[in-house]
Amino acid sequence: MVEQIHKDFRKRDILYSLALWLLSLILPDPQLHYRSEYRLRWRDLFYLLAILLLPLLFSDPHFHHLMVLAGIHGILALGLTLFLGYAGQISLGHAAFFGIGTYTTAILTTRHGWPPFLAFWASGIVASIFAYLIGKPLLKLKGYFLALATLGFGEIFLVLIKESASFTGGVIGIFGIPWFSIAGFVFDTYLKQYYLVWIVLIGLVLFTKNLIRSKVGRAYMAVATTEDATSSVGIHVSRIKLEAFMVGAFYAGLAGSLFACVMSTATPETFSLNLSVLIVMMVILGGMGNLYGPIVGALILTWLIDTLAQYQDYSLPLYGVILILLLIFFPDGLGTRLRVRLIYLISYWGRKKRREKVNL
Amino acid sequence: MALLRIQGVTKNYEGVKALDQVSFEVKQGTIKGLMGPNGAGKSTLFHLISGIEKPDLGKIFFKEKEITFLKPHEISLMGIGRTFQTLQVWGNMTVVENVMTAMHSRLRGGVLSSGLWLPWIKREEDRAMKEAKEILEFLGLFGRWKWFAGQLSYSEQRILEIGRALGTRPELLLLDEPAAGLTYGEAKDLSERLDQLRKKGITILLIEHHMGMMMEIADEIAVLSNGILIAEGTPEQIRTHPRVIEAYLKRGREGCSESEN
Repeated sequence: MVEQIHKDFRKRDILYSLALWLLSLILPDPQLHYRSEYRLRWRDLFYLLAILLLPLLFSDPHFHHLMVLAGIHGILALGLTLFLGYAGQISLGHAAFFGIGTYTTAILTTRHGWPPFLAFWASGIVASIFAYLIGKPLLKLKGYFLALATLGFGEIFLVLIKESASFTGGVIGIFGIPWFSIAGFVFDTYLKQYYLVWIVLIGLVLFTKNLIRSKVGRAYMAVATTEDATSSVGIHVSRIKLEAFMVGAFYAGLAGSLFACVMSTATPETFSLNLSVLIVMMVILGGMGNLYGPIVGALILTWLIDTLAQYQDYSLPLYGVILILLLIFFPDGLGTRLRVRLIYLISYWGRKKRREKVNL
Repeated sequence: MALLRIQGVTKNYEGVKALDQVSFEVKQGTIKGLMGPNGAGKSTLFHLISGIEKPDLGKIFFKEKEITFLKPHEISLMGIGRTFQTLQVWGNMTVVENVMTAMHSRLRGGVLSSGLWLPWIKREEDRAMKEAKEILEFLGLFGRWKWFAGQLSYSEQRILEIGRALGTRPELLLLDEPAAGLTYGEAKDLSERLDQLRKKGITILLIEHHMGMMMEIADEIAVLSNGILIAEGTPEQIRTHPRVIEAYLKRGREGCSESEN
């Protein structure tokens, strides 16, 4: 009897270790999640290959389109994670900057004939100018008050877009935004757009990676922990917060511009509170203070919403239940502790099996 | 020459007088001790000097320039570094990064150049890393440089706070109970290092309950009680000062009667 159990242990243990080794090759490092992002690893090459090959393996256009959206959400969440995850400030109006990016591109390309490539950069800059104007007074607030104020800003932005019909097309929006193009190469299929969006995302991940390993990132993280100590070493706290807010808005502006070119329309409903909350959710679900976290969060939530849409009336309750379950089992976020949690779950399953055996 | 001059500083907290007409000077290149029973207003005075709070009355001068109403980061940039009584290290950063963060204002580079990792950003980072390691070496924390600050023991975090203050290259160092929670040996090491800092020309204003250490290294001591400066002088003068003895003993007696009730 005992020998039998012993044999089973060894068989299963080999299986576990194999599974864990495979996982460890793919998933982000569980410990030192701030530090682990500092240099590129073999794992990153794996991610890169996966990103490049994925649309070729699955040639379904719907899947491509979904991945384009996930990439755009990833850029949004990446921007917010600087402000929310690293600098520790909450914003519930991030969708407004996405909207500003979309409308900047829409107006510049359809009315002023700007090429999308230039409008793309202009969108980011315009969004961060708005962030400067909004953030200057708002960022004096903290915690819940900041959350409420940014939420209010998002709603005001929505009303302004809807009411100024002559400039933004009102409730109907702006149509006929051209495809994105660089030097005559037009991104007119979902597959091409996929590569466009994900290469922009990869570029921004590298940019963010450099940012947080430099003095800028250190200052962000310092502000998140204690403001008194941060100002005591000569760091201008409110300027750092404003800077993080503007960088986040810049990313959102770029994402908005890509969104405009992919959808070829700009309508106000897209930038409601729903999107703001969704971005925050992506950052939290993916793991705060982690670079890959928001992208994991963006992928999962985009896929989840799309999949649940087929259940129509039940989709929202299901969505809620799944989110709650994910937050219970992955409280640190999926990107941060996925490996640790999976190891825990697998070994838990193993321990349970053993207990049953012994009880027999 | 007086590096720091405090002139008639008064601070009220909703009717409670935390500081009442306090005036004293800290001379360049000396260690000045600040003593007093709990609640005497020592930490409040530090908050006022470092600009986290503003006085109701009075003025504070640093290098003969008024700093009373400057913001905390501006005061830090003028050359005043400080530590906190309640530990405020950045636990989610490594030890060496804690010190490097203090060098923020001396490093070149903004968002764009850092994000693109331009060649000179790397040089700046290496320079900061080297300097931070030197500071850690001096404080005896070098063996821990890769650790997360949150993983350090209580006393090591206290030392790290000093390291962080040194990272700003201060002329005046405000230390709020640096030896609290340290063992006898650690406190001994600390006072030796403070002595070395004084020799390097850094002026220190020190709050400490550790009597022996204070008497040993302070050039001058000021004693606060209930927000009033009751005595000032050399350690020998303070040791025998009647009002100091009275303040400490009276406080002790009250404490006893309170605990009996």
